[in-house]
Amino acid sequence: MNPALAIARREGGELLASPRGLAWLLAAACVLSGFALLLVGSTELGLLDNAQVVYDMASLAIALGALVCAVMGVDAVAGERERGALLPLLATAAPRRAILLGKLGGQALAWAAMVALAVPYLWAVGSTGQNLGAAVLGLVLFGTPVALAAGALAMALGARLRSARAALLVSLITLLLLASPVLLGPSLRQSALGLGFDAANPFSGAVNALDAMVIDGQGLATQGWHLALVLAWLAVAYVTALRSLWPWAGEEIVA
Amino acid sequence: MTRVAPLAAAVVAVLAGATPALASPRTCDPAAEQLAVTVTPDPVARAAPRMGDRLVFHSMVANHRTVAAPGVVVWLTLLRLDAGHEQAMDLEDWSADKALSLDQLPSATVARRKWTLRLISPGTYRVLVSAATRDAPVPAIAASEVFTVASKSVVESARVLPVALGIPLVLGGLMALRLGTGHRTGADDG
Repeated sequence: MNPALAIARREGGELLASPRGLAWLLAAACVLSGFALLLVGSTELGLLDNAQVVYDMASLAIALGALVCAVMGVDAVAGERERGALLPLLATAAPRRAILLGKLGGQALAWAAMVALAVPYLWAVGSTGQNLGAAVLGLVLFGTPVALAAGALAMALGARLRSARAALLVSLITLLLLASPVLLGPSLRQSALGLGFDAANPFSGAVNALDAMVIDGQGLATQGWHLALVLAWLAVAYVTALRSLWPWAGEEIVA
Repeated sequence: MTRVAPLAAAVVAVLAGATPALASPRTCDPAAEQLAVTVTPDPVARAAPRMGDRLVFHSMVANHRTVAAPGVVVWLTLLRLDAGHEQAMDLEDWSADKALSLDQLPSATVARRKWTLRLISPGTYRVLVSAATRDAPVPAIAASEVFTVASKSVVESARVLPVALGIPLVLGGLMALRLGTGHRTGADDG
């Protein structure tokens, strides 16, 4: 079997097939359920609010997916190093690129599970059917590069920093910073600094694309810049992670 | 001096009880402007639209002048007509199509435009399409027939509750079942 596929199956299987691994999926479901239940009691929602709710739910799924991938990314390198499992893996004949792709494949499986979990929630809150298809399309197209970029950058951090705890903290704080567009209101993002941050931030790219597609009803064709932004970040994150795992860095990684 | 004369005439007219000429509104006279606007609903439009539907209108702006009309701007207005709620709606959330601008509209030609509205609130509405040129002070306007948007429940608890309660329950049950099986067999769940 292709080493990348074998590693992806192992990584993904640990998270999706084991009973304890399912706990994260249950926690994510509880977050999405809590948000959905908050809406049931509201009788003041308009159709526009419904589109907003679908957008919020999709953004929440991207944030949760990026969080899961970041934690998996740190664990995949720094966690395995501390458990003593990284050295045997690096000592195999598998190329570093295959190892990286395998680890990213495991994160992609977790992200796919997150999308599968989010779809029924999107359907449930998007009861008007308004732009539901656009929300799912946006979630897959824009969420996948964001989640995998978070995972790849976390792997790079895990390789560069000597401590899994430090790598996890840095990853989570970085993720919180990147996800700030969800926390900040649109008015705070209208300053020059906010606009600049929005233009370069992959998470902003994803949520702004979702905003345009779900709330404003714009077509995917108008979101080329946002798609290019998130794909560029994925490419940068991949190259950064690959350089961190490159053979000359091997001794440093396992030291 | 040239400004004083009309002002004095207006003052005189007011004192005489007449409507001052300076205050009289400019009226819309498409024939005089020779720019004609029509707006019609799409033939396949739903007869009884509901929230969430999309309504399409087609507009035509015809230039009947003998010369090109310079700097033409065509824009959409949505009026709500329900008693007590009369207002011009903010199109921000209703439509990505808000206006069309043309450098010029040649003589004896027609500019066509499709306007798509996403119906986000219930009520009774009318669509207006206006066209103005750089050299004409009053726009030409066409109005659609009045249409009513039926309401639709926005969040259906019958859909949300089964998903919001069911999925965590199923996942929790699955996890408990697998943990229980793992304990009985002594298997390591990894």
